[in-house]
Amino acid sequence: MSTPAPLSLLAPEYALSGDHFDELLTSEGILRPQWEPIMGALAQLGPEGLAERAADIGRLLRESGVTYNVYSDPRGAERPWPLDPVPMVLESKEWAVIETGLIQRAELLNLIFKDLYGPRELIRKGLLPLDLIYGYPGFLRPCVGSLPTIPNPLALYAADLVRRPDGHVVVLADRTQAPSGAGYALENRVILSRVFPSLYRDAQAHRLTRFFQTLRRTLGTQGAPGAGRDAPRVVLLSPGPLNETWFEHVYLAGYLGYTLVQGQDLMVSEGRVWLRSLNGPEPVDVILRRVDDSFCDPLELRQDSWLGVAGLLDVARRGRVAIVNPLGSGVLECPALAAYLPAIARHLLGQDLILPTVETWWCGDPRQRDHVLSRLEQLVIRDLAPGQGGALFGDALSRPELASLKDRIRANPGGFVAQERLALSTLPAFGPGGGLEPRRGWLRTYLCARDGDYGVMPGGLSRVAGARDAAWVSNQAGGVSKDTWVLASEAEPSPALVGAMPMVGGLGTPVSLSGRVAENLFWMGRYAERAEGTLRLMLVVLMRRRLVRESTGDSSGDATLRTLLRALTHLTATYPGFVLEGAETALTDPAPELLTLILDRERIGSLSFTLQALLRAGHELRDRISGDSWRVISALRERSNALGQRQPQDPEHLVHHLDELITHLLAMSGLAQESTPRHLNWVFLDAGRRLERGVMLADLLRATLVHPCAPDDEPALLEAILNYAENTAADPHALRPEALLDSLLLDERNPRSLGFQLAALESHGAAMPRTGRDERLTPAERLILEARNELRRLQLRDLALPDGSDHRLALDQCLARQQHLLGSASEALGRSYFDFTRSQHLLASNLPQPGI
Amino acid sequence: MNYCIRHVTRYRYPSPVSLCHNELHLAPRDTPTQSLRSLTLQVSPWPGYQGERVDFFGNRVHHFSIQQSHRELEITACSQVTLQPSGVEPLGLQSWETVRDRLEREVTPEILDARQYVLPSPQVPLLPELRDYGAASLLPGRPLGEAVADLMGRIFQEFEYRPGFTSVSTELPVVMDHRCGVCQDFAHLALGCLRSHGLAARYVSGYLETLPPPGQDKLEGADASHAWFSVYIPGEGWLDLDPTNNLIPMDRHITLAWGRDYTDVTPVKGVLFGGGDSHDLEVQVDVVREG
Repeated sequence: MSTPAPLSLLAPEYALSGDHFDELLTSEGILRPQWEPIMGALAQLGPEGLAERAADIGRLLRESGVTYNVYSDPRGAERPWPLDPVPMVLESKEWAVIETGLIQRAELLNLIFKDLYGPRELIRKGLLPLDLIYGYPGFLRPCVGSLPTIPNPLALYAADLVRRPDGHVVVLADRTQAPSGAGYALENRVILSRVFPSLYRDAQAHRLTRFFQTLRRTLGTQGAPGAGRDAPRVVLLSPGPLNETWFEHVYLAGYLGYTLVQGQDLMVSEGRVWLRSLNGPEPVDVILRRVDDSFCDPLELRQDSWLGVAGLLDVARRGRVAIVNPLGSGVLECPALAAYLPAIARHLLGQDLILPTVETWWCGDPRQRDHVLSRLEQLVIRDLAPGQGGALFGDALSRPELASLKDRIRANPGGFVAQERLALSTLPAFGPGGGLEPRRGWLRTYLCARDGDYGVMPGGLSRVAGARDAAWVSNQAGGVSKDTWVLASEAEPSPALVGAMPMVGGLGTPVSLSGRVAENLFWMGRYAERAEGTLRLMLVVLMRRRLVRESTGDSSGDATLRTLLRALTHLTATYPGFVLEGAETALTDPAPELLTLILDRERIGSLSFTLQALLRAGHELRDRISGDSWRVISALRERSNALGQRQPQDPEHLVHHLDELITHLLAMSGLAQESTPRHLNWVFLDAGRRLERGVMLADLLRATLVHPCAPDDEPALLEAILNYAENTAADPHALRPEALLDSLLLDERNPRSLGFQLAALESHGAAMPRTGRDERLTPAERLILEARNELRRLQLRDLALPDGSDHRLALDQCLARQQHLLGSASEALGRSYFDFTRSQHLLASNLPQPGI
Repeated sequence: MNYCIRHVTRYRYPSPVSLCHNELHLAPRDTPTQSLRSLTLQVSPWPGYQGERVDFFGNRVHHFSIQQSHRELEITACSQVTLQPSGVEPLGLQSWETVRDRLEREVTPEILDARQYVLPSPQVPLLPELRDYGAASLLPGRPLGEAVADLMGRIFQEFEYRPGFTSVSTELPVVMDHRCGVCQDFAHLALGCLRSHGLAARYVSGYLETLPPPGQDKLEGADASHAWFSVYIPGEGWLDLDPTNNLIPMDRHITLAWGRDYTDVTPVKGVLFGGGDSHDLEVQVDVVREG
């Protein structure tokens, strides 16, 4: 078999096998016509050119922080999104058939949806078995009677398509609650059109923009705006940053211009849904949700859910909020439904299905069960019980496993579905060897309701297996996504170009600020400052150690170094460390303790721990962070991960890494200072920073100056403190403790002084919303004011002068008091602004207990 | 027989609750042998938002939200109910296998409605030990009425009524292992036994009028909410059985609501914000016979 010319260059070994369909080549090995222009262009690039573009794609994806999470993987957070440089190509004639079939299917599913949560005639007429629906966990009884009375309540619908060996496209699965991936499809297109601008232009692939315009228009007409507003308020409800597709939620919310919320940001009151903004509740009319049905309302659905909004279903039932898609739509994802769709289509539409489903048998029906049991090893089996989502491939099971599966099916037949085991078609993918190779794949397509009809996204999210020999595609096993080009039969007028990530959020935009977001901002500020402070002191410690070793060869007896090491333990609260039990050993050889303080991610207070906390906060605040800041955070993440790879014998070998980290942290604070408008977002972020800086400074001064050192050691210690405080202008030899305290405690013009932090906190406090009526000072403001007043009243001479027991008791008391007030202020902020988010409780009756 | 029922539920919280949403299954149902003459629901503090609907199983559900800060919540449901035993109780003379087969095959609306109670439910899973326990009563060819009465009797004899041992979230295997529980557990147990043999059985939540020991006055608040089960007999209807007391409910059981299990008909449930980590709960029920 000879490969055609363009292909031989790129894919000398693109071999075909007979058991499946190949998207690129016919069974005779001839290039299918729709691929010709693209393969021609790729061949011109050559293998090196293609490899370069693949590298460009990786870089663009990293820079814009395109990621996904893998639940089961402890390192799963934020994996880079894999995108193949070669698009999937479909020609317009075939696509027209697919489109018609998808629309027919969407309309059919709507009819079934309305029937199941309405009269349930399909069950009465025997078209759907009662046990199948009533026994399926996705059928939510409280949702009966709650659907909006519109023609197509399923505003969004997605179908996974595969191609059978005979070339026919069939549906593998229907996604009806909160289909994911449309955002990734859009982002894939943005990236590919940037990397292959002329190829994309010449190929005349249909644009995706129109689909999202339709989505916006549809969502905008789903809910009636409340009084006094001319447009409905739409929010995107996400389960949060641990969700697999969190990046997509951020991306779509930004692209569509909707506020990104989590359950705790919303509440039900007065029979309406409100966004709990710190400035007061704001009404919400439409919720585009990415939270699964049963998690959306802990009152009527899953009581153990923290992702939903208590009372939400009842508001939907009364038509005062539109949820897209409506709650309960998960029932349509029941894989067993497919066995009954052809008959229902004939009954309800008088038509046969244009796109059939992969052949399916429901074991609750005795005849179908017998069929399944007789050929289990040729089928794919699914357990319908919640949490059993994974498919079992009969041919991969051992004999005993097959026998035990048969027993499970016989014990609870209604809980199992079997599907035909399909040989997926293969698509050309960029392989590890630099050429193209065939890999199994499928395509998820998206539809959006539009004036009683549906609009189909011309394209979708294609995915291929992670390796050439893999028979199935999964994210866990390294699946790779592809852009999908549906070729236009004629040039279409190009609508406004899809831009790169038009973030409407951004820290600078005055969007609604919920308590959750404010809390994350506050802690992001605290963690950033804590990381910086820890790094600074660590570098000061290492510098002193180096100096002493160079001059004396042995650093273990140096008093200044010992004081600084103890300060490090206090500052990071990593006891016992250099302070409590085992301190002498650690002080004599500090290297092991210093190494864990830098590297141990599991140790609370370590540099790595703090950096992880900072990055997590950043991840959750993705929608509030500008592109520039995100690049800094990405770089910080890369450096932090690189640090995690190191296993040096001595912390000295890490100095270079620590220096780099501090540069990134400074860039971050610089961006926060220089490029961020002073909205409420910034106020909380900076308040966290100021508060942490004050607390750490007090820690350091208590650990170093309360017990005066020997006069000979004083210059070195003062110099170290000045280095920490980045105050290198002063001459340490001419410096007395009084002057140092004046500069670091009282001088409000010094941005590293305690006084400066308190002054800033006071003005931040004044900018924060009042929670109570007639509240002139918030509890946090009172505490800050108290701290500032106390500090101003201090007499420097009293502080600096050791008392009878050679101890600066007044200084110690003053600093302890400042720490206490700052800590209380942090808690007061929590109570005033953040606490609601954690306070959800369940109420249940007691057990019925009759007195007999 | 006329009854007046007063059911008071009081929650006290260590710190203020800023918002709460609640759902109540506290309205006695109308049934062929029971009619509700009046119902008043009082909630304190005053709920800013309230409403009523009928749930999937035909029970009346009241819901309300309290949107002002509060440290105590009191729900009082007062109802007047008349019980009129029809005199023709279902006998269940068909063999239990006949009933099982009819449930599987026939598609009349009534049978379809009953069929949903054959399926497992959140608190009543399919368990081999329940199937085995039921099999000892469901002997081949035995009339259904006789078989379920036998099952009820065995649960009454072989399981100890021990308040406090189980909680609302206790699972059936624990009840089976320790052979003890309260009325809710016994009802769930019977449901599991019957359903695993293909019979339709539902959970009934309600009240039982208790009688004071001879010569003593009845104490106020001494009654409690109660639960039992009901089994479907084609052609005859539903037969109630109380395994906690080993009797067929006649004129002392007042039905509130029914569903697949406790989770469908929880008398009072809610989600609240604030309130601290724990709360005190006090329930008082009085079932008083009227002249």
